[in-house]
Amino acid sequence: MTTADTRVAVEATPQAPGPRGRARRRTPRPSATPRHLQSDLTAYLMIAPMVVLLGIFVFWPLVYSFWLSLHSINFYLGNEWVGTQFYRYVLTDERFWDSIKVGVTYAVMVVPTGMVISLILAMFIKTLRGRTASVMKTVVYLPAVLSSVIAAILFAFMGQDAGLINAAIGVVGIEPIAWLNSPTFALPAVALAGVWLGLGVSTLILLSALNEIPESYYESAALDGASFLQQTWYITIPLLRNVFLFLLVTGFTLTIQEFQLPLIMTNGGPVGATKTPNLFIFDSFRENTPYSTSFSLAAALLLFLVLGAISLVIFRLLRSEKAIDA
Amino acid sequence: MSLRRRKLWSAAGAVVAASLVLSSCGGSGGDNEESDGKAHVIFWQQKFEDYQQEWFKQHVDDFNASQDEVEVEYVVVPAEAWQQKLKAAQAAGNQPDVATTNYGGIRPGAASGQFMPLDGLLPEDRFADIKDNVKEFVTVDDKHYAYPMLVEPSTVLYYRTDLAKAAGLDPDSPPTTWDELVSWAEALTDGKTKGMTIASTQGDLAWSSWGLQLNACGDFPLRGDWSSADATDPCYADLIDLYTRLYQGGFMPETPKVAYPDALPYGEGEVAMMANGSWAIGQLKNDFPDLVDKTAVAPFPSIDGDETKPTATLGGWTLTVDGKADDPEAAAAFIDYLVAGDPEIMADFFKMSGLSKYTVRTSVDEVLANDPKAKEDPFMQTISDQVVPYGMPEPAYPIDISNAMATAIESVMKGSASAEDALATANDAMDEIIEKQGLAGAGEG
Repeated sequence: MTTADTRVAVEATPQAPGPRGRARRRTPRPSATPRHLQSDLTAYLMIAPMVVLLGIFVFWPLVYSFWLSLHSINFYLGNEWVGTQFYRYVLTDERFWDSIKVGVTYAVMVVPTGMVISLILAMFIKTLRGRTASVMKTVVYLPAVLSSVIAAILFAFMGQDAGLINAAIGVVGIEPIAWLNSPTFALPAVALAGVWLGLGVSTLILLSALNEIPESYYESAALDGASFLQQTWYITIPLLRNVFLFLLVTGFTLTIQEFQLPLIMTNGGPVGATKTPNLFIFDSFRENTPYSTSFSLAAALLLFLVLGAISLVIFRLLRSEKAIDA
Repeated sequence: MSLRRRKLWSAAGAVVAASLVLSSCGGSGGDNEESDGKAHVIFWQQKFEDYQQEWFKQHVDDFNASQDEVEVEYVVVPAEAWQQKLKAAQAAGNQPDVATTNYGGIRPGAASGQFMPLDGLLPEDRFADIKDNVKEFVTVDDKHYAYPMLVEPSTVLYYRTDLAKAAGLDPDSPPTTWDELVSWAEALTDGKTKGMTIASTQGDLAWSSWGLQLNACGDFPLRGDWSSADATDPCYADLIDLYTRLYQGGFMPETPKVAYPDALPYGEGEVAMMANGSWAIGQLKNDFPDLVDKTAVAPFPSIDGDETKPTATLGGWTLTVDGKADDPEAAAAFIDYLVAGDPEIMADFFKMSGLSKYTVRTSVDEVLANDPKAKEDPFMQTISDQVVPYGMPEPAYPIDISNAMATAIESVMKGSASAEDALATANDAMDEIIEKQGLAGAGEG
């Protein structure tokens, strides 16, 4: 039973005494505050620090940002009330919607690919024992501890005209490709770095989830003659459903917001092919006009709504079910 | 109130108080305190070549030591972080009193109250010392909103004389038309060494193509009073064609390793010619001295060979006093010392730059004229005589407009659109910017 469950149970007893009047059998201690209110107070005080901090660092900035977004911001001459003008400007700006498309495409490239590779790696590591398993886990987790800035620089070097990738494809006679300066290849090139960076965390999460599946399920399936693929399809994947959901939702919301990799590797180009929503907002903010400040603020708040909507859609598409408890 | 309850309320109060203290942290820091009796001036310099930081540091120290009324705090800010750092500081009220500002930022900054006019803060004769063609760069409604430091042409042609000879080209007769330039680039492309490097990404094209836009069309795509865009003018298709021939012909690196202002690919021998600003001379002299004797400089070719047409805009940097500076007189005293007063100080700057930038003051010209090195420098002579006189000011409209044109150039270079479609898209984008940013009527053409 969780802490929250305990609180509910304590709270329910005095409020709705059972038909046999269990509450009346207890002798209440004389106190100015009823017991249930004391319990509530304790609970409120327990969560108060977090509520206060969230209020100061999340809710107030959000409300204030919304208020500011209704103004044309000028740090010197004062702000001018313009209502929802900047929201209209953002919503009618083709570049904003293009950046959302780029962000979604990037997420579609990175998240499922990363999950499949992570699952394969996790299943492989699960078969290992002792020192080899530890070494593999460390190796797989390495990208997660590497700064994404360094990863971006590494992959940018690899994607140069005379870089490692072109050298590799040159071995099989393919002409060099402008990976980072071609509207066709730039986003996949950035996505490659994104997949690599995300592998460590998702592999370890999937590995721990795999270890939670009782071996007896596989043993029974094997006795029934199920092949490895059948065991994976009928046992492993269904039992990892909640983990997949978690990885999908967090993965999508994080990757749509990817910023550092395209900023460093391509600066959003070529022809906007890698301009993710956050990079679009950042570039708008960097322009030295009062217009750009208000515009980027409105765009950031709208992106917040778009990301929320995408998360909702994913939840709807993949209904979470509690896995069978072993 | 029970003891327990009182304790709980005390605890809650402590949490709220701590939160309020936390929320009030991180505020001020930029105030011009005068606890030591001195006026404190915060000066932000955008990071440039290393020698510039050295020069600024030395002369800020000299200024601080030369008097006991003003203390300047010198802060170097990386170029890529400049805008967001400055905006964050402005929002928090911690903006610098004095900052480096480029010419393109003067007019919009003056309109938005970001800068304080220097008239009345600097002696009148300081403005008389500024060359006439540069004076207009810093003047808005007859007021001087900045004091200029230098000009530097945005586009000059650098080429390797040894490689030109090896390719059967005459290094004493560099290309003068765009067709000749493409022929040279083709002839100089040899295996891994590409014929030339020029901007190929939107961010670089946005500003480095200004001079060539003027060369092809005689004007920018936003003209007159900025009431509508003229990006569909067919002459811009000729400009796009130049970039496309160089890119799609394979005569330039497909993926730029560095941004346009960086001469690294030329210095490392990856390209035989380079379009770059005059500032690249400093980098070549400092980082690749062996290459200097094998390098010649020429005006960038013109669309039709007419050398009197502009091929470059005259960019450059100024010092501005913030509109909210606590002590404008102290800020102006620093500017006066550093860039407007003793001409030897700025002459020292140009010498350190390897004569890769150009003075905007008559008195500094006179000091440099007596310097034998400056008189004999072949690069300086070519650029001073053949590029600067035809250079034009940068456009004053927001960079969004230039980005739209740059996107058009880049789309065609990389095969995403035809020139006609790309320019039509750019024109629509510019009209939308004009409408949303209320630019109509703001132009002075």
